[in-house]
Amino acid sequence: MHELGVAMEIYRISRDAVAGHGAGRLESVRVAVGELRAVDPELIKFAWQATVAGGPDAGSELIVDWHPAVQRCETCGADKARDTAGWLPLCPDCASPLRVDGGLELDVLQVSYLREEEERAVSGGVG
Amino acid sequence: MAEIVDVRRSILEANEAAATQVRGQLARALVVNLISSPGSGKTSLLEATMPAIKDSLSLAVIEGDIATDRDAQRLRALGVPAVQILTGGACHLDARQVLKVLAEGHFQAPDVLFIENVGNLICPTSYDLGEDFKVALLSVTEGDDKPFKYPAIFATAQVTVITKVDLLPYVTFDLDAVKAQMRSLNPTGSILLTSARTGQGLDQWIGMLRSSLDAKRRAPA
Repeated sequence: MHELGVAMEIYRISRDAVAGHGAGRLESVRVAVGELRAVDPELIKFAWQATVAGGPDAGSELIVDWHPAVQRCETCGADKARDTAGWLPLCPDCASPLRVDGGLELDVLQVSYLREEEERAVSGGVG
Repeated sequence: MAEIVDVRRSILEANEAAATQVRGQLARALVVNLISSPGSGKTSLLEATMPAIKDSLSLAVIEGDIATDRDAQRLRALGVPAVQILTGGACHLDARQVLKVLAEGHFQAPDVLFIENVGNLICPTSYDLGEDFKVALLSVTEGDDKPFKYPAIFATAQVTVITKVDLLPYVTFDLDAVKAQMRSLNPTGSILLTSARTGQGLDQWIGMLRSSLDAKRRAPA
């Protein structure tokens, strides 16, 4: 749905995290995405590439840790897999509303970056 | 070698922080976030609501659209301060946009602030704008299968307004089927039937707004 807006927020948080440690170029960013957040893992990676394209962090990778929905039916007393045919938050067996125990993750977990001075050393730059 | 920084921050944190600020600034106001598909009658419901309450309550409207300020113009014509946010293509409003409108001083803190979201049943559901509750609108011309087809918004909205009910004799719309879907998705939510054209159901809608505002102001801070 709105993956580009989500990607831009991930970028803002990532740059902010690096800025707290000095200058550097993003290498990869690891995020947690839950199945119930309506964020498609492939589309968010595509949106990430669009967000960083042409800037200092172009080519950096977005790594998505995918968290499947964990939903419990309190009537049946069992965990229920998401009904992928219906995608309703209702028990596929007894139609009671499901309690959500997982699948709502949407977090930046970890940022990996290359320090500016190391980058210069690697590329044999003139500092 | 790459440096690793542990972050563990919510991607929606900036929106969540802004929503908290909106709540702080409008602690005495009722803030209602109206969400529906395009054309289901959000602006028409507001137009029909304004004349009945604008003398007894101070009102303000924030309109979210991709393009044009037509909706804000319609409400300004009724003497209500209405501020248009143009998203330029974005599919939902964000709490930071609401906060910016409040900071610009277009209106004094009102009794009731209506936020009419961008016409879309999907994306606005994920963004808290600092509202007291979301209202979902479903017009009878859209079809009676929509609660199950767009479950997130209909499960989240505290109030669902079925609009254009004056057209019920002319369309195939099984109201009982909608009520059954809503009972499953949202057992504690309420359903109102309205027609902005005939005025049907507006008393219940306005009564709900007044009692929600009273309840908020009576509640201990």
